[in-house]
Amino acid sequence: MSELFEVSGVVNIMFWAASALAVSAALAVVTVPNVFKAALFLALSFTGLAAVYFLLSAEFVGVVQILVYVGAVSVLIVFATMLVRDMGGASRPVNKQVATGAIIVAALVAAGIVFVGYDTQWTRVEDIESVDSAAALAGTYREVSLVGRSREEAVLVAADASANGAKPGVFADGTGTLGTLLLREYLLAFEVIGLVLTAALIGALALMREPRHDTESARTRRTDRGAA
Amino acid sequence: MTLESVLLVSAVLFATGLYGVLSRRSAVTVLMSLEIMFNAVVVAAVGFTRFTVPAGLAAGGAVTAPGARLALTGHAFAVFIIAVAAAEVALGLALIITLYKYRQTADLAQANLMKN
Repeated sequence: MSELFEVSGVVNIMFWAASALAVSAALAVVTVPNVFKAALFLALSFTGLAAVYFLLSAEFVGVVQILVYVGAVSVLIVFATMLVRDMGGASRPVNKQVATGAIIVAALVAAGIVFVGYDTQWTRVEDIESVDSAAALAGTYREVSLVGRSREEAVLVAADASANGAKPGVFADGTGTLGTLLLREYLLAFEVIGLVLTAALIGALALMREPRHDTESARTRRTDRGAA
Repeated sequence: MTLESVLLVSAVLFATGLYGVLSRRSAVTVLMSLEIMFNAVVVAAVGFTRFTVPAGLAAGGAVTAPGARLALTGHAFAVFIIAVAAAEVALGLALIITLYKYRQTADLAQANLMKN
């Protein structure tokens, strides 16, 4: 079955190009002295990563990446760099020793992740033995209703014996399946994340609000502004 | 494009973000580096979804609809991580601007209001 899992050469080249773009833009973010330019490089890095998600057949995550990161987070950060007038000076490293130490720590962490990634025996899509499992993962299945069982308990079998075009890991309807997954298996987490977002935004508003205590100077300042 | 190459990209991105968090003085740049680290984790989650399967599915046997759906858990995690990162960046920028209001700087070395 393993020829099903081959990644085509074009996809390979596009993956490495998008990854190189994302990584080099990320490196620019942590090295350019100008905070505003760093914010623009960050948006570029996010866009490259969105392309990586599309190539990994995570269409929904790619769209969310563009909407939330490129559309909202980057714009928010650009606005913050405009409000905080400390562009050049503050973005240099704390000092030489700290920068060297940071490079060493970062390199060790990266080496650890890569070592674990290569050393672990992952259960890969190529390891799938049964045609039914492969078809279920690719979304090309047929439900076999069992008497007295609910639809959720129905067993999935391959739509046709050869499981034509079945590509495990690449769902035919990934976004639909993800929607069902979020609203069934992860319903609680889904609701809580909405609560977290609301709480965070209310917290941000509370932080940014003008202090309430009415000192004399604050009151005059406000009337001045009203008069102007 | 294999699982290893995706993990390599993820590790390099994570290390880049970590270096930025540890070495920059500007609070805004530290926040941007944090976002890079979040993204590195999302890359890993999406890569695992693409190239690995739950052990139960690989072994064979009867497959049910919830079992097949759970193979997309990495994508669900990616969506949750992005939502948490959005909340974090909103709060972080509010904190940075509050710091700026008190100290007229975004230099983290100056953020010592609670010292002593």
